Amino acid sequence: MMSMLTMLTLAQAADGPTPPTFWMPTGASAHASNVDSMMWWINLIMWAFLVLNTVLTVYFVWKYRHKVGTKFRTDGPDHNGPLELAWTVGPLLICIVLFVFGFKGYLDVRTPPKESYDINVTAYKWGWQFKYPNGAQSDDLVIPAGKPVRLVMRASDVLHSCYIPAFRVKQDLVPGRYTYLWFQSDFPTGMDQPTDGHHLFCTEYCGTGHSNMNRRVYVLPQEQFDAWTTKQANWLEEIPEEELYWKAGPKLYARCVQCHSLDGTKGIGPSWKGIWARVTGGEGSNGAFADGSTYSGLIGAGKQYATAEDYIRASIYNPGEHLVQGFGNVMPTFKGQINDKGIDALIGMMKKLDEFDPKTGAWLKTPPAAAPTASAN
Amino acid sequence: MTTLPARPAAPTYDTPESDNYLTHDKGFLSWILTLDHKRIGVMYTASVLLSFLVGGIFALLVRTELLTPGRTFIDADTYNHFFTLHGAVMVFLVIIPSIPAALGNFVLPVMLGAKDVAFPRLNLFSYHLWIAGAVCTVVSLVMGSFDTGWTFYTPYSTTTTAGGVVPVIVGVFILGFSSIFTGMNFIVTIHKLRPPGMTWFRMPLFLWALYSTALIQVLATPVLAITLALVAVERIANIGIFNPAMGGDPVLYQHFFWFYSHPAVYIMIVPAMGIISEIIAVHSHRQIFGYRFIAFSSVAIAIFSFLVWGHHMFTSGQSSLMNTLFSAISFSVAIPSAVKVFNWICTLYKGSISLNTPMLYGLAFLILFTIGGLTGLHLATLNTDVHLHDTYFVVAHFHYVMMGSALIAMVGGLHHWWPKMTGRMYNEKLGMIACTLVFIGFNVTFFTQFMLGSHGMPRRYYDYQPEFQIYHVISTIGSYIMAGGFLLTAMYLVQSLVSGKRAPANPWGGATLEWECASPPPYYNFHEAPKVGDPYDFSNLHWDERGEGYVTVKPPAAKA
Repeated sequence: MMSMLTMLTLAQAADGPTPPTFWMPTGASAHASNVDSMMWWINLIMWAFLVLNTVLTVYFVWKYRHKVGTKFRTDGPDHNGPLELAWTVGPLLICIVLFVFGFKGYLDVRTPPKESYDINVTAYKWGWQFKYPNGAQSDDLVIPAGKPVRLVMRASDVLHSCYIPAFRVKQDLVPGRYTYLWFQSDFPTGMDQPTDGHHLFCTEYCGTGHSNMNRRVYVLPQEQFDAWTTKQANWLEEIPEEELYWKAGPKLYARCVQCHSLDGTKGIGPSWKGIWARVTGGEGSNGAFADGSTYSGLIGAGKQYATAEDYIRASIYNPGEHLVQGFGNVMPTFKGQINDKGIDALIGMMKKLDEFDPKTGAWLKTPPAAAPTASAN
Repeated sequence: MTTLPARPAAPTYDTPESDNYLTHDKGFLSWILTLDHKRIGVMYTASVLLSFLVGGIFALLVRTELLTPGRTFIDADTYNHFFTLHGAVMVFLVIIPSIPAALGNFVLPVMLGAKDVAFPRLNLFSYHLWIAGAVCTVVSLVMGSFDTGWTFYTPYSTTTTAGGVVPVIVGVFILGFSSIFTGMNFIVTIHKLRPPGMTWFRMPLFLWALYSTALIQVLATPVLAITLALVAVERIANIGIFNPAMGGDPVLYQHFFWFYSHPAVYIMIVPAMGIISEIIAVHSHRQIFGYRFIAFSSVAIAIFSFLVWGHHMFTSGQSSLMNTLFSAISFSVAIPSAVKVFNWICTLYKGSISLNTPMLYGLAFLILFTIGGLTGLHLATLNTDVHLHDTYFVVAHFHYVMMGSALIAMVGGLHHWWPKMTGRMYNEKLGMIACTLVFIGFNVTFFTQFMLGSHGMPRRYYDYQPEFQIYHVISTIGSYIMAGGFLLTAMYLVQSLVSGKRAPANPWGGATLEWECASPPPYYNFHEAPKVGDPYDFSNLHWDERGEGYVTVKPPAAKA
């Protein structure tokens, strides 16, 4: 059995993804061929026993059918020690073999190589955020071909699970702890056509949008991948200043929305509604902080923050310094994640909040005629 | 075996039994406050079947919504409520009480030749608790229902805005105690009320199965009760136990939950295996093959069931070492299950097989349980489980075991003991047609789902990729065929109650004690204490033309 298993595995180490079969979808990772040959063997065992049991059952029922009124047979054996021992030990041996091979395959799935390429993953209701080492971010997963990739994953609200059928891997994302997943795919998929790439599903039930957390996994050759991450990391720099607040603002705000509402709803953090009035001496500027100070006491010429912009930036980079009364010290610092241009975009958005949808943060006005497609980023 | 004392002939099959448990008292109160295990069993049966109808309607709604990707006729939230309700109703209100509480209550004391269970009042209290649990579920529906999945995974279950989570948790808590009390009652009854001569190894195998089940019920159910109480505490009082936002651990919840819910799988399947042992032996009219192996394998399964809960959590973030251990132990459950199947098949060998409706359900069980059990291998094996976990493959696997095996055995048992419970026969031809419809519909529905799952379709999905649609359509058509089969069953069973032929005491030629008392049994089950013989010795049974049933005849051919 061992040699046949190896043969089957080798036969699939071909130069392209394995095509879909009766049982399995296309396979595009090193794990896939392992899992598929294991499935093949277990299916064989299943069919063998199913056919054996069904044939025996049907045959016996036909052969030993009883005619009403005739005497019952009494010559059936009521036990047979060696036979019963055989069908206890036989299945036991099969199970041990299956366990050992399953365990070996599993060790590979759980042991990422040392030189793996790390991507940070956050799952939330209901989407994914993938962060690459150079600061690039994306909603779909993009990986380099021919290189082991490790996903370092966390969930921000409830349980989620990252499942890529073509790679035969799956791992839950658990709020409050990190989990990981690794795989390697040698076959580039391209990312231009809608059919390019593989499925990525959420497989841990998480509510209304659970079935719409599906995203694509694109595999790119190394040079193409590098070009893509570089472009993706610099998306902010390419936006002209005058378009910044509405192009970049909502996109950056997507990282704030879980705690800060726009419509005044109290969340984990204070709502942004009316924030610019508060910090510029308008309505609400006497609002208190946990340490007793007020907006107007902190912000202004000669005070701790000379300008409102100063205060906003400090609140994003060092959120724990002055806590608004009624809120805990739970916000992480965004230093190193949102640069000055990003801060400018958010401040621009805060100044003109009435131009944005109070629920989703989407910009409600149409862009100037010069920019026909607003969604380009 | 032939030297066993002869039993008294079945009393008066040809004169209508004037005083039986159904006619002994009259009126609503005489039922709802009865201490008679038979009436309690009948009430449980009716309640469970009604719940099965409700759960089945939810299943059909879910299957219908899945005919097309995206919206077919309900929105995502409604869908989430429906599949949750389907699961919760089927598990907590139907399958767990179906065999032990419904059929077990009726059959167990009669099989023992006893007048009742050890604690009749506790038995009635169990039923009243079941009603209270069901009422809580209805209250939950009124208060906004719940969309947590029947597994109540945290932190989703403690943070969802659905309003009915706490009421249903209270309901499941109460149902748990109903189950515990039934289990305790059965353990004591089997220990204390066995008649003289019935040693442990002369017990019908159904009793071995009920005994093993009762052990699991008593030992595992409290854990579920406490776990759900903790979920309620977290939801109501905001005390962080499972929600990491409050310092809790969601994986801890999964350990607690599956520590009950895996054994719960055996609360469902072990008594089903007991029924199958009875059905196969009685309708093959032959000494059961390997009695001791079957009896011990029930106990072995009950013990192993406590050691394998972690196989539900291979991808949960549980450590790789634990996954490895749980995988290894999980395989051990395969052995006693395989042993039982082989024993049943060998019981057919050189039997005298009457192919009728209960037997047909028994044979359906053999094939469906073979598939359900063998696909467990895919899921116990670590690397294939990583691919298959939380896909439709798992859905198909547990439907083959929960429905294709446990529920099919329940329906088979219902047909097997129906003449005894109601005193009426049903239309045999329609019974066989309905069973065939259910068997075909079931396989069309769920075998397709194995393929859905192995191709990567996750479970609990409202919307799906277009390439999965063909499987979903086939599966939904299968579910309609199955529904047709069950509808037909309901029709001919009702017809049997109204105008069915009167049942003889022993219509199938069974040798266990329940076939010695009249159909339906008298109020006190037996006019005189029955003598106990070998439960699987059919050599003294003879077909009686006049009564269209079997009678026991003393070996020297002198009719008592």
